[in-house]
Amino acid sequence: MSTNNDANLIRMTNQIAINLGSGRDEDAAASAICRHLETFWARAMKQRLVASLDQADNELSPLAHRAATLLATRLAERQAS
Amino acid sequence: MIEHFDPRRQANSVDFSKDYGTPSPIPNANAAQVTLEIDGITLRVPEGTSVLRAAALADISIPKLCATDSLEAFGSCRLCAVEIEGRRGLPASCTTPVVEGMKVTTQNERLARLRRGVMELYISDHPLDCLTCPANGDCELQDMAGSVGLREVRYGFTGENHLDAAKDESNPYFTFDPSKCIVCSRCVRACEEVQGTFALTIDGRGFESKVSAGQDEAFMNSDCVSCGACVQACPTATLMENSVIDHGVPDRSVVTTCAYCGVGCSFEAQMKGDKLVRMVPYKGGDANHGHSCVKGRFAFGYASHPDRLTTPMIRDSIDQPWREASWEEAISFAAKRLKAIQAEHGRESIGGITSSRCTNEETYLVQKLIRAAFGNNNTDTCARVCHSPTGYGLKTTLGESAGTQTFDSVMKSDAIIVIGANPTDAHPVFGSMMRKRLRQGAKLIVADPRRIDLLKTPHLGEAQHLPLRPGTNVALVNALAHVVITEGLEDKDFVAKRCDTDAYQSWRAFISEERHSPEASEPITGVPADAVRQAARTYATVPNGAIYYGLGVTEHSQGSTMVMGIANLALATGNIGREGVGVNPLRGQNNVQGSCDMGSFPHELPGYQHVADPIARGRFEAVWGVKLDDEPGLRIPNMFDAAIEGTFKALYVQGEDIAQSDPNTQHVEAALRSLDCLIVQDIFLNETAKFAHVLLPGSSFLEKNGTFTNAERRINRVRKVMPPVAGKQDWEITQDLANALGYPMNYAHPSEIMDEIAQLTPSFTGVSYQKLEEHGSLQWPCNDEHPEGMPTMHAVNFPIGLGRFAITEYVATEERTNRRFPLLLTTGRILSQYNVGAQTRRTDNQRWHDEDVLELHPSDAEVRGVRDGDWLGITSRSGQTVLRARVSERMQPGVVYTTFHHPGSGANVITTDNSDWATNCPEYKVTAVQVEKVSQPSAWQQRFTSFDQAQKGYLAKAQQEAP
Repeated sequence: MSTNNDANLIRMTNQIAINLGSGRDEDAAASAICRHLETFWARAMKQRLVASLDQADNELSPLAHRAATLLATRLAERQAS
Repeated sequence: MIEHFDPRRQANSVDFSKDYGTPSPIPNANAAQVTLEIDGITLRVPEGTSVLRAAALADISIPKLCATDSLEAFGSCRLCAVEIEGRRGLPASCTTPVVEGMKVTTQNERLARLRRGVMELYISDHPLDCLTCPANGDCELQDMAGSVGLREVRYGFTGENHLDAAKDESNPYFTFDPSKCIVCSRCVRACEEVQGTFALTIDGRGFESKVSAGQDEAFMNSDCVSCGACVQACPTATLMENSVIDHGVPDRSVVTTCAYCGVGCSFEAQMKGDKLVRMVPYKGGDANHGHSCVKGRFAFGYASHPDRLTTPMIRDSIDQPWREASWEEAISFAAKRLKAIQAEHGRESIGGITSSRCTNEETYLVQKLIRAAFGNNNTDTCARVCHSPTGYGLKTTLGESAGTQTFDSVMKSDAIIVIGANPTDAHPVFGSMMRKRLRQGAKLIVADPRRIDLLKTPHLGEAQHLPLRPGTNVALVNALAHVVITEGLEDKDFVAKRCDTDAYQSWRAFISEERHSPEASEPITGVPADAVRQAARTYATVPNGAIYYGLGVTEHSQGSTMVMGIANLALATGNIGREGVGVNPLRGQNNVQGSCDMGSFPHELPGYQHVADPIARGRFEAVWGVKLDDEPGLRIPNMFDAAIEGTFKALYVQGEDIAQSDPNTQHVEAALRSLDCLIVQDIFLNETAKFAHVLLPGSSFLEKNGTFTNAERRINRVRKVMPPVAGKQDWEITQDLANALGYPMNYAHPSEIMDEIAQLTPSFTGVSYQKLEEHGSLQWPCNDEHPEGMPTMHAVNFPIGLGRFAITEYVATEERTNRRFPLLLTTGRILSQYNVGAQTRRTDNQRWHDEDVLELHPSDAEVRGVRDGDWLGITSRSGQTVLRARVSERMQPGVVYTTFHHPGSGANVITTDNSDWATNCPEYKVTAVQVEKVSQPSAWQQRFTSFDQAQKGYLAKAQQEAP
């Protein structure tokens, strides 16, 4: 069942990316998406999303992938601090 | 000259228990004052006041029958005649406005003789059964007969009369007894002026005149919507509540707040001992001003329904019968399970759902329990599935998660846009106010796939319907904004002063693009470009344009985007920050605004303070005495996903029926079945409770103290009028559970909870029960800056400083029609039923709507050979259900519609998991379906029926076995 949940999180991220992506350059878009995930997603959801970056066929859109990668960095920084 | 002055009688201290005969001329306006003399007393009243009202203000009572202060003067009964120095005859004081220097006499022999004569004529055609009449002791006709000293009826009673006229008992809540009618027209005028339905009329002329519903139809067969305005206005027993006929006139009365929709009407709960005899809309209610609808006025019988849960119940698994338990046993059973689950599966494996039907104090307490005692932020509320996009969208653009206006503001609007809302059904009392303004000439624009009843307002002026395709809201709002910008209709001054320039410039460039033009959008929305242009021009060019919206905006994959699109439109046209304008979400449930304010969302502490904000969190930690998690928790749909996955194991649900109200029922059921511990606190065995392990019987709004916050941010008192059926108010149950979990809570009264809310919530610092008693109600923000609250928001600046335009790119929903699912299903509500129907289905409101039906356009029906009343199987990508067909021209071809008030209908078996990108608010309004004739209920419905029977059996067994 867990793959269902993962697929859902990826679908949600892609949806956020489409909606927050327009009208922004890619850097700004990725950071807006990352900020959205930080603000609204539960810890476990963020961790699951970040973990899915390891799967090559994760179906994240390029922008969503970039935002998720940024989220991974920020989570790691937070953990380190 | 001695002035008559009473400091208690200032403009805002009207005695709402008194009838002043005619309405206040211009409420709250600084009208010129007129000085006159009545019975030797000099007084000053606002220009436009009637002599009748002026006298009443000076405590001089002039007899009256056809006049009442909720209706315009009519001047038909002649009982209120007075003498005015220098004028001929005896004018009716109700229709005579005051004039400077006027000298009025209200009592002398000549007037007394006239009034006795008038009364004598009335009584000559009225039954003399006062002692056995249901209005005995509460009858204006009786009072006036006494007041004028009527002693005989010289005409006798043998002449032609109406004493044998037959009663109309078709309405379940009131009886129409025309034998008692004095044809004062108060009911007819109330139906027109107050309710705006125009269902009643005076049929015939002269002696033949009689009140008639429609064209001499029974009330139930007429256009009557059973709002009760006529019953309220009737001065005799002609229109009388059946509950008063059955039980007699109530002997005490408590002002409280209705627990149905987000209008939050004030009512007098009129009691006899512990029995609620009737609910009477309270004239002093700032939201409703004495009006009501069929739900609040009449549908209160559920509170004493035999289905009410009265004893806590526990069981180890959901395929076992229930076992009655003491409160202590049930609470400790629940606490032990929660602790064991956390010990095994971790701190984040449990959560809770606060109720938008419970009070602010109760909601606050549940989220406090979750954050402080569960130690995580897994709290959410039903706003997730209705107005969470409003929170996100308005906070992003305007800086505050709430509507900007009071309801009264609509009376100053010149154009009203209604998007995805159906106020005459879902917010009826506000719908009536809107209709009043529309009759006065305000222009109406409705953007809705359906032709809603507001478009059928009698005496409606200019109105436009933009029948868009479900799911294309954002394309439409962008097209409207495109017209505003490209035709130079924006309010440049407002934008320059009040809005962030960079955000505005990027939005302006975006929205000006040709692809957003009405012509380019027409193939997407289906709305003719001309109509869009005309609507945009109307809204942008009137002095005051207001936007009202409902779940037809929020419950989409782009719900949040649409809310921002609406805010963009209001900002661009400067329609923010004064009366008559604004962005107004019409909230679904009674306290959905309050539940959001009280920190029900997983990412926000009370007052919309983010959990990651260390300063805000620190304040809560200091007062609550625990360390709080700085990460948001799970939202309702995320909880379901996590439950099915096996990482989320226990849920505490207060007054919310997720199994019926949330989308994709089979997915929700699977999630609920996966839980090791489901604690349901409700007044009935609702659909969710059938999956529960612990049942905690809750209390209705009549059984508790607290506050509700309505759609206009108005905090209103809820007052206890009877003891809780099961012994505890809901906040007491939550408190017990917290204590059992080892987190101490010791509140003695909800006012103490409100004091804590005020201490921790910047927008509530000025709120207290004492202040609510003094003011009646308060609209937040209520703090040092705004000690009396704030009726109109954003007048000077926004909480974020400048208004922020947001880019609103239209993204088509993934839910598409195709050959297999060629129709779009959209869902909504009906006047007589409320939400999941748990309350209204247990009242006579069933008489109006005892099953959910599928509305479809005649052409879609014809292609499928469907006739009215046929059984239809409705299939989507999520599931199938079966409903009866209703062929209706309200629908556009290709779109079908149903409601979700009855659990067996399975409307949400069909709706999907799709949700708003920002908030996960489900996309209830767009589901691709196929419809075909069938002969039996769907597989889900058959399973539902057997599960339902088994669960009801488990409950009945426990109740029988109890000592």
